[in-house]
Amino acid sequence: MRWRPIVGTAISFGLAGIAWEAFARSAVLPSAITPSLLDVGQALWGTIRNGTMFVHVGFTLFRILVGLVLAILVGVPIGMLMGRFGLIERFFLPLVSVLSPIPSLAWVPLFILWFGLGNTAAIALVLYAAVFPLVLNTWTGVRSVNQLWLRAASAMGAERQTLFAKVVLPGALPFVIAGFRQAFARSWIAVVGGEMIAATKWGLGWVVFDSKEFLNTDVMMGTLVVIGLLGLAFERLVFQAVENRTVARWGMVKTVKA
Amino acid sequence: MFRVPATVWLTSRARAGAELAFPFVVVAVAWQLFAMYGPMPPQLFPSVDKIVASFVRLVGNGVLAVNALTTLIRLVVGFGLGAIVGVVLGVLMGRSRWAEDLLVPLVSVGNPIPGLAYAPLFVIWFGLGDVPCVLLVGFATAFPVAVNTWTGVRAVKEIWIRAAIGMGAAERQLFRKVVLPGSLPYMLTGLRLGLARAWRVLVAVEMLTSVRQGLGWMIFGAREFLNTDVMLAGIAVIGIVGLALEKVVFERLEQYTVVRWGMMTR
Repeated sequence: MRWRPIVGTAISFGLAGIAWEAFARSAVLPSAITPSLLDVGQALWGTIRNGTMFVHVGFTLFRILVGLVLAILVGVPIGMLMGRFGLIERFFLPLVSVLSPIPSLAWVPLFILWFGLGNTAAIALVLYAAVFPLVLNTWTGVRSVNQLWLRAASAMGAERQTLFAKVVLPGALPFVIAGFRQAFARSWIAVVGGEMIAATKWGLGWVVFDSKEFLNTDVMMGTLVVIGLLGLAFERLVFQAVENRTVARWGMVKTVKA
Repeated sequence: MFRVPATVWLTSRARAGAELAFPFVVVAVAWQLFAMYGPMPPQLFPSVDKIVASFVRLVGNGVLAVNALTTLIRLVVGFGLGAIVGVVLGVLMGRSRWAEDLLVPLVSVGNPIPGLAYAPLFVIWFGLGDVPCVLLVGFATAFPVAVNTWTGVRAVKEIWIRAAIGMGAAERQLFRKVVLPGSLPYMLTGLRLGLARAWRVLVAVEMLTSVRQGLGWMIFGAREFLNTDVMLAGIAVIGIVGLALEKVVFERLEQYTVVRWGMMTR
């Protein structure tokens, strides 16, 4: 039974590829608009060989990573404080619930005016997209720490600091990681979209948008593949690894063994 | 009978209101101070009174309403298309092994790719304007709906299906009376996720496909003239509509269906 999903996946991608290839070569639409897979592969390989793809990927990753780190530095402490102190919760919760549903990309034009085109606007955008899931999940996580653990730890003489570092923080971690996942998914959209609208010179979103001007559909589709693969790689490799190292190892969540 | 005196009830109500308003007042004051004494020029960082004034003006002359309505129409059409396609695909994947093997890999790879990334491709394929806009919204909606419908159909209890068959249900009845209601909680989750995604994509894509009207278009167009107050008013409306879609539409829908049938407690 183990080979069945693999074969299924291969067949489904194979069929989709053949269907596209047939459509692309049938010349129903001009081939400039529907490039064949070979063209897409060649275009992608071209950008990899001359190194431009790496620069684009580097810029996009730089923006998203800086934004995410800032979002963690801002969001997790606020979420923690909200979970621990009622006063802070009552102050931040209304603000967060009003700002969180606003799509981050709605802010792009304003951020362009405030921060100019380029890295700062993109990073601010990622920060906006990522901070709310982190705050909300951390807040939920801290509140859902088992009361019994807290009482047990204080009964055994844990100081405030130890209590926090050894009980509250690890206890809330599954939620924080879930929030981080959500934050990444949102910022991935934000950074690609932001790069399109806030046309800078580099970045994956910019490549996709810029290829439109010259009808470089092959480059565009190659870049879309890269965007998809990078997003998938982060989700599968990075987050899965983080989860396995921490909360799964501590036996707090069960991960599905792939 | 014990009754709470009206005055106590009023004061507690007023206090709750004041508590809710307090953070916004603090932010507004900070914003105002920054606008007045901060390093940003007033065109770029309008003061609170200017934002409120232009919000009132835009509501009064109907500009906000027209743009919001255009965006909502696009949302309904795009989301409707995507929801239909997603539910059909999800049910197919859940009911037929063959469709599951073929479609699930494609859907699960397509799902995490930001729908917005396809915007330029859709512009090349379908031209500028409303068509690529609506289609992209539908495209972005279909994935979460399909995935959740699929999960829902598979989560229908085997025993319900067997019981229905045992009682002589035809294929059609089985589907309408057992599978569909049984998978509805998941389907609604999918629709909810899809709508949230559709809303996010739509606002951004309106900036990219040079449509005629719409909230995204309004914000983007206002940039040309440095109308930051108009932009902020537009962002506020986007937030309000998004919140309303989530709270009013879906919680109602859930209330009438799955909660009433006792499948979910709220």
